Amino acid sequence: MAVESVSAPAPLLSVRDLHVRFPTERGTVNAVNGVSFDLYEGRTLAIVGESGSGKSVTAKTLMNLLPRTAHVSGEVTYDGQDVRALAAAGTKHFFGVQMTMVFQDPMTSLNPVKKVGEQIAETLRYHLGRSRSDALEEAEHLLDQVGIPEPSRRVSQYPHELSGGLRQRVVIAMALACQPRLLIADEPTTAVDVTVQKHLLDLLDRLRRDRGMSMILITHDLGVAHGRADDVAVMYAGRLVETADARTLFFDMRHPYTEALLRSIPRIEDPVHHRLDPIPGRPPELVDPPDACAFAPRCIYARADCLDGVPELSGLVGLHRFACLHPTGTERGEAALATNRTAGVTAAGLSLPQEAPGSG
Amino acid sequence: MARYLVKRLVLLVAVLFAVTFLGFSAMNFLGDPLFNVVGVMAELDCEGIEAGTVEDTSMDRARSDCETVAEARAEYHLDRSVPVRYVLWVSDLATGDLGTSFQNDQPVSQIVREKLPETLILLVMAQIVSLGVAIPWGVIAAYRANRAFDRGSTVASFGLLSVPNFALGVVLLYLFALRWQIFPSAYESETTLGLLFSMILPAVTLGLPLAASYQRLLRTDLITTLQEDFVHMARAKGLPAMRIMFRHALRPSMFSVVTVFGVSTGALIGGSLVVEQIFGIPGIGREIVTAVIRDDFPVVLAIVMLVACTFVVINFLVDLFYSWLDPRVRTR
Repeated sequence: MAVESVSAPAPLLSVRDLHVRFPTERGTVNAVNGVSFDLYEGRTLAIVGESGSGKSVTAKTLMNLLPRTAHVSGEVTYDGQDVRALAAAGTKHFFGVQMTMVFQDPMTSLNPVKKVGEQIAETLRYHLGRSRSDALEEAEHLLDQVGIPEPSRRVSQYPHELSGGLRQRVVIAMALACQPRLLIADEPTTAVDVTVQKHLLDLLDRLRRDRGMSMILITHDLGVAHGRADDVAVMYAGRLVETADARTLFFDMRHPYTEALLRSIPRIEDPVHHRLDPIPGRPPELVDPPDACAFAPRCIYARADCLDGVPELSGLVGLHRFACLHPTGTERGEAALATNRTAGVTAAGLSLPQEAPGSG
Repeated sequence: MARYLVKRLVLLVAVLFAVTFLGFSAMNFLGDPLFNVVGVMAELDCEGIEAGTVEDTSMDRARSDCETVAEARAEYHLDRSVPVRYVLWVSDLATGDLGTSFQNDQPVSQIVREKLPETLILLVMAQIVSLGVAIPWGVIAAYRANRAFDRGSTVASFGLLSVPNFALGVVLLYLFALRWQIFPSAYESETTLGLLFSMILPAVTLGLPLAASYQRLLRTDLITTLQEDFVHMARAKGLPAMRIMFRHALRPSMFSVVTVFGVSTGALIGGSLVVEQIFGIPGIGREIVTAVIRDDFPVVLAIVMLVACTFVVINFLVDLFYSWLDPRVRTR
């Protein structure tokens, strides 16, 4: 044991076989189906997926923010402690101090009736026992750290007096107040102006590095993950379909969905008026999912065996894993694609153009 | 903010003018005010008596009925047109003179001064009871929405809402004053504190049904607020559940309650008529019942005006309270 822990430090956050189900009137929604991953201290994991892929539900499960109706099973371990047990026991000073979260929409994630300074100071007072004046002073300092001009004036303003970009900076300052070791950022830049997005992401990245913090960056945009994440996990229909270190994922991806996601991003080297390749079809329903690869109906590689059972995620946690029977960049994958092209249709019924996609 | 205040004040004055004018006109046109003062003497043909064509039937030889009628006309300005009388009445009002009661020649201002404090204290205590009960009740019901406590409390609140004031009052009086003798059954005491103590049962009678309706509103609004991102954010910050309920969720969920609080003041004054009767409180509610029955219009008018005034002022305060509840109102 001792030898092992020296050679391979324990992960800060470890998730094993996480399942989340919501009973609804239409049936049970299987929002998360058997997600496992590790996050090591000081690293950034990007969880990438379309809306409805279960990435936000995963984040909320980690933070114990799901409604009571949700059925959760699986294990979430933070620094050796069972997070769900900590939450159930009402352990004080865990959330907000050890791990915390930044939400998607800065317009709604600040309390509209409290001054921003108070909202930051509140955490400091509750968790660290600061006096009111000390906490407010620290709040001002935090606002300065996240690049808000005139922090002394801003502390006594209300959220509606700030722009979206500034508000998200306030949210970040609030989340970082108690120096958490793990920050979960749920689409932190989706709701703000494009011009502000890069600033915010760079700010998060810088703060993370300065503080040696670990981060889970949830996004639908692989471009956001690029250059900022150490590891990337791609989610589809509540499952991880591919996880790898960022370099492998971007340059040697195996899952057709990852490939399709990358193709759908505009790139600066593309010629002007280059047509993007959208992914055909829509994400699947999560009520009564068929016993098949969920991506098969939209996949140009789909063969008959894809419709026969859900492909397992290969390999061990921490290595390059993917859940595909005909992975892209392999012989099996090329063969499947060639067969489908010749037929003009995949085994799941998706019709294919004869020419190679992306060349038009 | 200053402009907003000025606008509200102008509105307040306008409403008061409208209410008093309507009240004044109603009292003057619905029935003959002279008849209300001097009774059947108002029917006398005084011009005929003076000319000698009609017989003077006055019982009092020292002061003929026609003199009495003339005096009354002069005192209540009944020889002037209604708009002029209204202006005269308002200018009297401005100097604090509310006129005199037709019944016993008591100045109306004195009646009001004697009876108003009892009613005001009752209303204030009733609202304190209602909010004091409704806020914790609503918060716990919303926190445990659709669980046992919430389901039970839904039944209880509909029960309270459907019990009429007088029934609740009588039941409380029987249980707490007669059977268990915790509270006095009559409104009497040597000390102010004692009077306040005997005001508790009436205040609870008025306040409990209100608490039930406030609780329903607060519960619904809180459940909506609890879905908001900033509540999730507060949870992600690791704040304890009750702190989130009271410090984050409560204030933005108070709008409906505060609005109904203002409106219900009117209903509360109506309710106080009944409750003052049951508990024998010598308040303005009892006074207005008597005055209306006897067509004692200076008293009725004064009380109507006071009630309207209270109503408008409370709703003005409610408006001010909105801007405390939500800073975004201030900049609008």
